[in-house]
Amino acid sequence: MPLLKVDKITGGYGDSEILRQLSMSVGADEVVSIIGPNGAGKSTLMKTVFGLLHPREGSITFDGHDISHMAAHQIVKLGMCYVPQVANVFTTLTVEENLEMGAFAMEGGDMAECKQRVYDMFPKLKQRRRQLAGKMSGGERQMVAMGSALMLNPKLLLLDEPTAALSPKLVDEIFERVARINETGIAIMMVEQNAKQSLEMAHRGYVLANGENRQEGTGKELLEDPNVGRLYLGG
Amino acid sequence: MAKTLVEDAPVDMLAVGKASDDAKPQDTQEGSFLDGRAAMGIGLAVILVAMWLLGYATGTDVQTLLSLTIWGVMLGGIIALGGIGLTLCYGVLKFPNFAHGALVTLGAYVTLAVIQLLPKSQPIWNFSFGWELVVGLLVAIPVTGIVSVLIDGALYRKLRHRNAALVLFAMASLGMAFFLRSVIYLLWGSDFHFFYVGRSNPALHLPLGIRVQADQLFVFGLALVLVILVYWLLARTKMGKAMRATADNPDLAQVRGIDTERVIAWTWCIGGGLAAAGGVMYALASQLRPDMGFTLLLPMFAGVIMGGIGNAFGAFVGCIVIGIAIQLTSAFMSPAYGPAVAFALMVLTLLVRPQGLFAEK
Repeated sequence: MPLLKVDKITGGYGDSEILRQLSMSVGADEVVSIIGPNGAGKSTLMKTVFGLLHPREGSITFDGHDISHMAAHQIVKLGMCYVPQVANVFTTLTVEENLEMGAFAMEGGDMAECKQRVYDMFPKLKQRRRQLAGKMSGGERQMVAMGSALMLNPKLLLLDEPTAALSPKLVDEIFERVARINETGIAIMMVEQNAKQSLEMAHRGYVLANGENRQEGTGKELLEDPNVGRLYLGG
Repeated sequence: MAKTLVEDAPVDMLAVGKASDDAKPQDTQEGSFLDGRAAMGIGLAVILVAMWLLGYATGTDVQTLLSLTIWGVMLGGIIALGGIGLTLCYGVLKFPNFAHGALVTLGAYVTLAVIQLLPKSQPIWNFSFGWELVVGLLVAIPVTGIVSVLIDGALYRKLRHRNAALVLFAMASLGMAFFLRSVIYLLWGSDFHFFYVGRSNPALHLPLGIRVQADQLFVFGLALVLVILVYWLLARTKMGKAMRATADNPDLAQVRGIDTERVIAWTWCIGGGLAAAGGVMYALASQLRPDMGFTLLLPMFAGVIMGGIGNAFGAFVGCIVIGIAIQLTSAFMSPAYGPAVAFALMVLTLLVRPQGLFAEK
């Protein structure tokens, strides 16, 4: 039984149908990359998994719970955290307060210990902990966003284009972080524009088009597939 | 809030634009915004000094002017208790709550009911009131807070779930203001009331020939304590930080596991409780009337706008300035023009610096 199982879901915003009969899964400890052209429904899939949108048909199961109609703040308590693509930090709060908000759903745990764990992972955040998140650069904000999502030590981390609009050097750094987060036993599901790089580090991948699942396989298989290469990896 | 989630795509696009704006070096902007803030602060000070001089020129002596200023600070404290609730609700819910004045009135009348139920005790110190008013205040704050939460559940939550336009929220709150006022007419009648009929409250003689009533000192002291409590709540407690986070970005607050409905309920509760305290103080300083809160609404909005909408500390300072301006008016023209002065200052703020004195951007 995989950690996350999406079973034939149909849905989207309001009455629109962006996802059609889509199925996928993420195993514990796995890195799964989702690629596809713009408008394929990648972000919609993430939001539906996380409970920000609800599927009209089909079901989503996470860690043995049916989460298809749960609200996001309930899903967080089950051990799934999400880093949105943009507006993913509270700009008027300090770095430290951002991290504390990441652990809002925690009941009775040790806040100082959680913060220290995240600071160990991102030492730069500790230096900057009293700074307003809104005054930080794009790469630093991405770290605040990922750090906040890791405060609860989730089982599954959803990343929506973590490298969007970052310089190539920062892109490498973020991918390296993602790999290290995965080494601590956290499963990762990510949507990426840098399809090639994300497939290189992913255990498995899915190719989405028009809200349907066109192709799936290990990262390597998809990278070597001539169709995938021609259509989505730029030759 | 479920509301904005449906509009996620356009919101995301807006936010992208914002993010790239923020990435620009801000040094050049920062200089000009500091200038704007300083200029407006100086402008306000000049206006208050001009009012002083005008009062002096029309024959008011310095002692009276000093007393008026101090009374203004106290009136400002009362306005601030309402204004802080107003600005918190605006920050989290993004709509101007026109029913906030009715909550002020409700708090005062609940206290009146408690005072009428309890036996009268001797006045405390030089105050005009006994312990039963303190008990009434301690009852009115939670009762009004809970009433605000119930109103939210019955009215605004339904609008949120239907993704109603903000103007509908504002109109609904205006309707709620009239509804609450009618309920107060129904329960207590249209007559004026006093907490204590015919009890005197002699003025204390302070140095420099200033005369202040003990009650006025109590009013300002309580306002100050409550403002400090709100500041501590927002800066230090988990719920306060969650309120700021929800005001900053409600969608992200949900993503981070914050139950935004619970945060909204707490915001109403605190806003309603502060409004009740403001109402009791206002009634103590003058009298109880069914429309007392409604007349405070304009000065509250003026103070909130001056301080920057959504900023609790700004609302406090803005309301104090408005309070002083209203009181100083009576030094050179009829006190009936006080609200007009508040209105003029609000319009001036909107023209010169619409984001307010304490805005971040």
